[in-house]
Amino acid sequence: MELLGRRETLELARRVLAASEADETEVTLASHSDRFVRFAGSGPTQSADRGRYHLAVRALFEDSGGRKEARATCDGVDPAVWRATLERATELARCAPADPELPPLGGAVEVEDRYPDDLTLAHTFEEKADWVRKALDACARSLLVPAGLAQTSGAACCLVNSAGREVFGARSRAAFSLTAGAPGFEGGSGYAEQIRERVGDLDPEGVIARAVGKALDNREPAPIEPGKYTVVLEPSAVSSLLLFASYHGWGAQEVHERSSFLCGRSGERLFPESLGITDDALHPLYAGGYAFDAEGTPRRPISLVERGVVGTPVTDRRWAAKLGVPNTGHALPQPSSHGPMAFNTVVAPGSESLDELIGGVERGLLVTQFHYTNMIDPKELTLTGMTRNGTFLIEDGRLRGAARNLRFTESLVGAFGRISGVGRDLDVAGALFDGEALCPALRIEDFQFTSSTEF
Amino acid sequence: MIERMEVARAAVEAAMSASASASANAGGRARADYADARVNRQQQEELSVRNGKVGQAQADEHFGLGVRVRHGGCFGFAAAPLESGEELATAELLAERAVDAARHLSLAVVEPAILAGSEGHRGEYATPVEIDPFAVPLSERAAFLREAEATMEGREETVVREASCSLRREEQWQASSEGAAIHQVLVRTGAGLSSTAAANGQVETRSYPASFGGNYKSAGWEHVLSMDLAGHGERVRDEAVELCSAEPCPPGERTLILGASQLMLQIHESVGHPNELDRVFGHEVDLAGSSFATTDKLGSFRYGSDLVNLVADSTLPGGLDTRGFDDECVPSGSWHVVRDGVFSGYHTSREWAGRIGEERSRGTARAQGWYDPPIIRITNLSLMPGSWSFDDLLADTEDGAVFADTVKMWSIDQRRLNFQFTCEVGREVRGGKLGRLLRSPTYQGTTPAFWASCDAICDEDHWDLWGVPNCGKGNPMQVAEMSHGAAPARFRGVTFVDAGL
Repeated sequence: MELLGRRETLELARRVLAASEADETEVTLASHSDRFVRFAGSGPTQSADRGRYHLAVRALFEDSGGRKEARATCDGVDPAVWRATLERATELARCAPADPELPPLGGAVEVEDRYPDDLTLAHTFEEKADWVRKALDACARSLLVPAGLAQTSGAACCLVNSAGREVFGARSRAAFSLTAGAPGFEGGSGYAEQIRERVGDLDPEGVIARAVGKALDNREPAPIEPGKYTVVLEPSAVSSLLLFASYHGWGAQEVHERSSFLCGRSGERLFPESLGITDDALHPLYAGGYAFDAEGTPRRPISLVERGVVGTPVTDRRWAAKLGVPNTGHALPQPSSHGPMAFNTVVAPGSESLDELIGGVERGLLVTQFHYTNMIDPKELTLTGMTRNGTFLIEDGRLRGAARNLRFTESLVGAFGRISGVGRDLDVAGALFDGEALCPALRIEDFQFTSSTEF
Repeated sequence: MIERMEVARAAVEAAMSASASASANAGGRARADYADARVNRQQQEELSVRNGKVGQAQADEHFGLGVRVRHGGCFGFAAAPLESGEELATAELLAERAVDAARHLSLAVVEPAILAGSEGHRGEYATPVEIDPFAVPLSERAAFLREAEATMEGREETVVREASCSLRREEQWQASSEGAAIHQVLVRTGAGLSSTAAANGQVETRSYPASFGGNYKSAGWEHVLSMDLAGHGERVRDEAVELCSAEPCPPGERTLILGASQLMLQIHESVGHPNELDRVFGHEVDLAGSSFATTDKLGSFRYGSDLVNLVADSTLPGGLDTRGFDDECVPSGSWHVVRDGVFSGYHTSREWAGRIGEERSRGTARAQGWYDPPIIRITNLSLMPGSWSFDDLLADTEDGAVFADTVKMWSIDQRRLNFQFTCEVGREVRGGKLGRLLRSPTYQGTTPAFWASCDAICDEDHWDLWGVPNCGKGNPMQVAEMSHGAAPARFRGVTFVDAGL
């Protein structure tokens, strides 16, 4: 499916807006296109060439007790479909309880248009098959089995509202990942991934080489006792920790409800001076960010941690009005049980290469990735998860061989407070749950592992 | 409007025709392979009242067509929304795109995809519903939730009160080149409430009847009414407050009695997922992981104690994955995954059943909707009831054991062996009864050892179905629903972890 262009997108959204009977209306219209292929030892296992629309109508009514609001969505742009969606939003909003704290919709803003990379949108299955063949060949040469994903996608989105706001953006994203392991994945395995805005910036051969290299280094992992270790976490491992601060940490709602680690700590130095974290959806290494949030508020870089000192929480229109602070542009689609979230965190790079980070460890572990990280306690962001796809023992500053996987149980707040080194190379990495973070490798002292595995 | 079954059939015919043309153009004989198509319409309404205001008020509708074709031993899939008057043109376009994808990707095929059996069924299925949930006026639903949420007012320590309900209706018309023509209407409802308190430096949440939105079933509004949310608000509120000053559950090894709303997660993560045959063969390694339950273990591996019987059943009344057919047109059924403690069966799809010598799929291939190709998903999977009453089980349990219930946190390794779960609430067992509250009981174990330690399961009077409405799998990730039946059960020598709380 072709993406809708700027003019088409805005015209259709304006048409929906004009038909609304609500006191205030916000219309978000997006078109998506996606091509992916998954592969394993048998070759391509699944693929899709698909497209869809996403139309969301947010209707608001003024009432003696405040504003009432609701949202309806659909995935078509047929007039009968969007009219039905508009009617559902309107009907639902009329029945919703009034909210005295709900502010009016925001007015006109200036947002720079962004456009997707045409080569990424045009990337074919034939070209993806070539990547798959290269991965299969490289794994076969090393007696390994592959599993991976090649994906290119694009989206175009606008938001218009009855207060005069009109913003538009379009984006593209290309990703290639490979997990390589011994047949049956019973022994050690290796993993690498790359995510870019432009398919031309992807290096599939580099991803394949890294994943295969990791798997070969990880062939016979040795038993290791749980306990406290100095760790060097590669970007993929860092991201799966950091994302929990996005889910439940940086937002004003969690702080106000006393469940965030930020609560009562804004302005405190919780971390070493070497740690800086911003939220920056428009960072050039982030693929696919729009220049506005789900209320159409322009996004700008926001400092979350500066030289180890934690800042103030991120907001949306509701929380900015409630707390009397600036709107930082971190709204989710409204109405929402969740408050604003910072989902584009960037850890400032340090000066050390990965080898230098490892060189500073007397005895510890290099961790490629964490699996199924989850949160035990929001107040200190106490997390647990497993190492995966390459855990290596470090002794006297050198890698000494593969180690079996371990489970960690550790507070993010505590662990980041013990950072002793920040890598210089940034990479975008995701995790099992939603989201991606842009981060370097980190060296952390006394990281707590609580149980072990037989693999 | 063109009948939707006609659209699905037209897509299948177009895919077969495109496959034959592509084959002929490549110099081969004109060979049609296999195709299926699903026209799928999903409606969902989410409503929640949070601290007296709207938390969520959202109505979603998804309507589109997904076409899957096997060409040259490789699957291609294409999907798009359906617009009035454009249905047949969309069907033809998607058929061509699916064949085009398969044609190019087939150049990288090592082992061709083979489908088990032939599933040319014609049939209808509809979830039995007493009260159509979408016919309940919005104002009535909002008032119902407001009343339930208000029962949690009255304690200054409470920082969040939330009551929510979710209604889902899925209608699907599916056809295949084997002659299948299936129409299904699935209705699911769920509701629940939760209260979060902040006091004594702690933040604790209690939920009813389960966390993450309550309990869901394939049923109508009668399921929501049956849960009596308002009748549990005060208890939930007070327990959340009391947990803030409760002792953390101490670390060490002791007996654990799991409540059913936690046991369902144990079933889901440590039995359901490792039992998916595509994981076993490494096809989900790139994100979700693989499985320790390898095919050499089938029929002989000791998965749990003799008491442990786990049955998969996509015909189970009320189950979130109860249906007539899966998304590969295979009829629903039931089978033992673990029988008397021994590993005895897998969840399979048509692509995978043959790999373990089975002639037919178990019928557990599902897609999130029209936008996604089907993959193997856990169906309703239940721990069968035992013979104990809950009171007798407590009376038979030593002092210092812990009763723990309601999912708070879960994590399990990529082979589904090492798990660590935290519950919302624990209670010390003392004098054969439930005693003081314990905060955040966190237990850790290894799947077969944990199930082997099960020495008592409560009877069917304590057994209920617990819905999982948001199970993620696949890459890109898809969400599916299923239920797990469970009654409280006892496990010996379980390791409780010091989570530093």
